[in-house]
Amino acid sequence: MKKTTRKQKRPLLAILILAVILIVLSVISIGIGALYISPDAVVTNLLGLDHSFEFIIQQYRLPRIILAILAGAGLAAAGAILQGVIRNPLASPDVVGISKGSGLAAMAVILIFPESPVYVLPFSAFAGAAIIAVLLLMIARKKSIQPSSLALSGIALGAVCHAGMQYMMVKFPGDVNAALIWLTGSLWGRNWEEVKLLAPWLLILFPIVCILIPKLDLMSLGDELAQGLGENANRLRFILIFTAVALAGSCVAVVGSIGFIGLLAPHIARRLTGEKAKYLLPASALIGAIILLIADTLGRGIMPPVEIPAGILTAVIGAPYFLYLLKFEARKQ
Amino acid sequence: MYHSAKRRSSSRLMMFIIALIIFIFGLGLNLSVGASDISIIDSLKYLFVWDGSKEQLIISTLRLPRTLIGVFVGASLAVAGALMQAMTRNPLASPQIFGVNAGASLFVVASLVILPASPYSSVIFAFAGAAAGGAIVYMIASSGGMTPVKLALSGMAVHLFLSSMTQAIIILNESGEDVLYWMTGAIDGSNWQDVITIAPFSVIGIGLALVFSGSVSVLGLGDETAKGLGQNMNGIRILISLIILILSGASVAVAGPIGFVGLLVPHIVRKLIGEHYQYVLPFSALFGAILLVYADVLARWIAFPYESPVGIVTAIIGTPFFLYLARKGRNLK
Repeated sequence: MKKTTRKQKRPLLAILILAVILIVLSVISIGIGALYISPDAVVTNLLGLDHSFEFIIQQYRLPRIILAILAGAGLAAAGAILQGVIRNPLASPDVVGISKGSGLAAMAVILIFPESPVYVLPFSAFAGAAIIAVLLLMIARKKSIQPSSLALSGIALGAVCHAGMQYMMVKFPGDVNAALIWLTGSLWGRNWEEVKLLAPWLLILFPIVCILIPKLDLMSLGDELAQGLGENANRLRFILIFTAVALAGSCVAVVGSIGFIGLLAPHIARRLTGEKAKYLLPASALIGAIILLIADTLGRGIMPPVEIPAGILTAVIGAPYFLYLLKFEARKQ
Repeated sequence: MYHSAKRRSSSRLMMFIIALIIFIFGLGLNLSVGASDISIIDSLKYLFVWDGSKEQLIISTLRLPRTLIGVFVGASLAVAGALMQAMTRNPLASPQIFGVNAGASLFVVASLVILPASPYSSVIFAFAGAAAGGAIVYMIASSGGMTPVKLALSGMAVHLFLSSMTQAIIILNESGEDVLYWMTGAIDGSNWQDVITIAPFSVIGIGLALVFSGSVSVLGLGDETAKGLGQNMNGIRILISLIILILSGASVAVAGPIGFVGLLVPHIVRKLIGEHYQYVLPFSALFGAILLVYADVLARWIAFPYESPVGIVTAIIGTPFFLYLARKGRNLK
């Protein structure tokens, strides 16, 4: 008994620490930008004790930080669910092309129907993501979703969506910054509008995820065991994938197809909390939020007033880690 | 035995003649399609007869260099892909998947920012970048056996990493859309200077590849067999790697990273004429030129009267094929 307790991870403690890190980072992040605001000034402003920077904080920085936290958490949760359902450590919205699909759909709506109301955006992004997911499942065959064919098919579908986005960019030439937002993902110029757009989706989806958590553990045991425990494995898989696609789609609709968060956050979370979904999912969400927050803050802070899109930074940080994972996995085999 | 060999060589000849006819028709089509309508016969006639008309001026200063770039780039990329597939014995090996395109793009964009533009300096930077990108992917993917999946995943990650850095450079320098357009792989702005830049590298690279095609065939058989046949494996590997770098680097320097040509063409060629690289390499060059020349015609049509980057067309053609390979690859294992 003692031997195991020493090795045992302390998932609740890890989640608590992550939450504290997230709060501290948010406060620091609000202060960073073209105009630096010290953390204690940020706190006094947020608590309403001081109003000196109220406009900058309330109108520019706060919505952006909230959005970074929401989108990071959403993408990471989607990744964690997909990895659990498909039982494949490489599955994540970006690797399997779902992010690119929703990015393409969102971009198409914005460029082709600029008149359409904003709230259409998440729906179209979700539709794009769903189309890719369905194609993927069709290609990879429902019965034997093998890691290899799934990843390869996802890369291919992602490539074609990327080409589609580039086509849109050429067909509707405009602001380069705006185009890059969709290609790489960025929080540039995001404000309360987008928070209002994303928040309701996540308010609906996160509780659904919480309900589904015990089922996710079942799915990771394998189809036979899940069925033996009285679950309809196929229906469950469909619901879980649908939820993940909705999460990823709604996040991409607002921040563009930011890569690597859905892939990396669950991996890091697994190291900290172990495999149990009830710890893994919250930890992934927190880590995803932290990663996106750091990426966005760095992008704003490195050389103001020029901003580097957060998606570029997540790729620069995430790709080496992903490569390390690939090498590490190879050695294990 | 003798009979069947003779029949095979005559069928190869037939294939070559048919391909040549398709190629020449493609050249005519490529010269004739565009904002100003010129018939195929006329456009081919203008190549040989000088009458000083406006149509001839359009052809000789705008369309002919572009067509030639298509021929050189298509042939170079296809041969580079065939060499890569022979060397790694991996069906997914190609300049794009191997990170060579992305590496060359990064170095070219960086050089454009650091140095004043000069076609030859960008070619040299493209070589260096191609080498860097290829080396990284090779190192990561080859540890513990290079499976197609590992190659594709590490290639994708390196590609994202390098292209993110490229985008960061673009944003930080606020150099605008033309670079973004170039990054999708475009040949519509080509001029005679580009032709002069790529032609020597392309001709020398393909020539060398043809000279050493026997060794390439042996390389495709595997290390042990090749050693048994008395080949100096490392010498050949280094030589072929250099040829690949010359071909793909020069292509990226003039046309940007055009994807899927190097992946698609060698597979089609091998399917049609078998595994002998003495035939695969010249046929790849011809088919690569055909693919890009026709893709360029399509690129003018899909958003008429606007031009689209040809890289979008190759991506759309190439993706279904990639999916097919991914499915086939699963069975091969």
